[in-house]
Amino acid sequence: MTQWSGYFGLILQGALVTIELTLMGSVLALIMAFLAGLGRLSRFFAIRALATAYIEFFRGTSIFVQLFWAYFVLPFIGISLTPLQAGVLALGLNVGAYGAEVVRGAIQSIGREQYEACIAVNLGRWQAMRHVILPQALLVMLPTFGNNAIELLKATAVVSLISLTDLTFQAQVVRSQTGNTLVPFTTILVIYFALALIISWGVRSLERRMARGLDGVRV
Amino acid sequence: MSAPIIKIDGISKSFGTFKVLDGLSMQVMPREKLALIGPSGSGKTTILRILMTLERIDSGHIQIDGEQLYHIERNGQLLPADERHLARMRQKIGMVFQLFNLFPHKSVIDNVTLAPILTKGMPRAAAEKRAMELLDMVGMADKAKAMPAQLSGGQKQRVAIARALALQPRIMLFDEVTSALDPELVEEVLNVLWRLCSETDMTMLLVTHEMGFAHDFADRVLFFDRGKIVEEGKPDEIFRNPKQERTQAFLKKIIAAGHRV
Repeated sequence: MTQWSGYFGLILQGALVTIELTLMGSVLALIMAFLAGLGRLSRFFAIRALATAYIEFFRGTSIFVQLFWAYFVLPFIGISLTPLQAGVLALGLNVGAYGAEVVRGAIQSIGREQYEACIAVNLGRWQAMRHVILPQALLVMLPTFGNNAIELLKATAVVSLISLTDLTFQAQVVRSQTGNTLVPFTTILVIYFALALIISWGVRSLERRMARGLDGVRV
Repeated sequence: MSAPIIKIDGISKSFGTFKVLDGLSMQVMPREKLALIGPSGSGKTTILRILMTLERIDSGHIQIDGEQLYHIERNGQLLPADERHLARMRQKIGMVFQLFNLFPHKSVIDNVTLAPILTKGMPRAAAEKRAMELLDMVGMADKAKAMPAQLSGGQKQRVAIARALALQPRIMLFDEVTSALDPELVEEVLNVLWRLCSETDMTMLLVTHEMGFAHDFADRVLFFDRGKIVEEGKPDEIFRNPKQERTQAFLKKIIAAGHRV
């Protein structure tokens, strides 16, 4: 009879690492999404080009390769990252590239009449963006951001390949030590699912709160 | 005789191959109330949008209050205006739109205070006090905390008027402000316009299909067709005794459509 309680503790530790990665990765992804999304809409060609290059590169290459690059290749040019740093960097940059397109699309979905109202009351470009366009666009972004966060959560599993002790890594440890696959992998399946549910509930309640008072106006 | 507050000099504007304005010139005196009428596509709305800097002109010049709107004078030369110049010029002008264009995520009072706080650095308390006075004037003080989605079209438009007034423009542009309203809501908006007309010394340009109101409101009526002013004059002359054939045909059509003159 296997001593499951000890192994269960191991998996819980892994869950904490996964949550930590998801939170930190999401923060970086959010920052990158806004930087690159706004960059795509910039008046300046250089900024647009930079943002487009970033988005296309990180969407167009696999997160697996990006992670290995961050962890194994960067040291050759003198940048050594811990597994956690490399994981957050790869996840954040990758998901941020998808998020950037969400930011751009949401901003562009706000009707021309809102921009015109801003000009008529003489708001500057940034004032209009900050106080009128972005608050409305945020509501459009939220559901897709929820999707992206869940994608990011699931993508954290790849960090086990650079020996970060996340959920998947710990499940493999348990599997190799007990010879049992069903129990550890069913456990982490349930935990991943529960975490994803928490994200989607969180996003949905945020959406409800932000949509208050707007009923009947927005889609 | 004082100087005109708006001086439009030979402006042209095309959308693609469609020439909306064709070498148009006109002048508006301070405090003057002007009604711009004419068939759709005649360019009357485009003039308002150009004055509000929502559209750029292809050629010509515009002076507002003695200053170039789209140009800066430097060493005797006229150069295209930068954003900073436009922002300064916009302070003199306010606009109310056909579809209200309120900020849907902001309450009624926040719609009115947003720009004064951001663009004039007004303290919030002062901006709110002023906003309440304006909302009171348009009969919307009791809805100050409401969201735009909770208002009727007429109420939204009255808030939009208060929002434009909050910046104390010298010139107000009204672009078919009652066209999107249900018939029973038109009156409440026209009443507000009427008050502004009689109680303030703003210069007002009104694009409208409400011929009866235009007649009572305006000092001067301009009839537009195909990017040009076909006829202009006192309301009585234009509505009772139009000289141009095109003006006659237009008014006939409007009356047939059931508008009161």
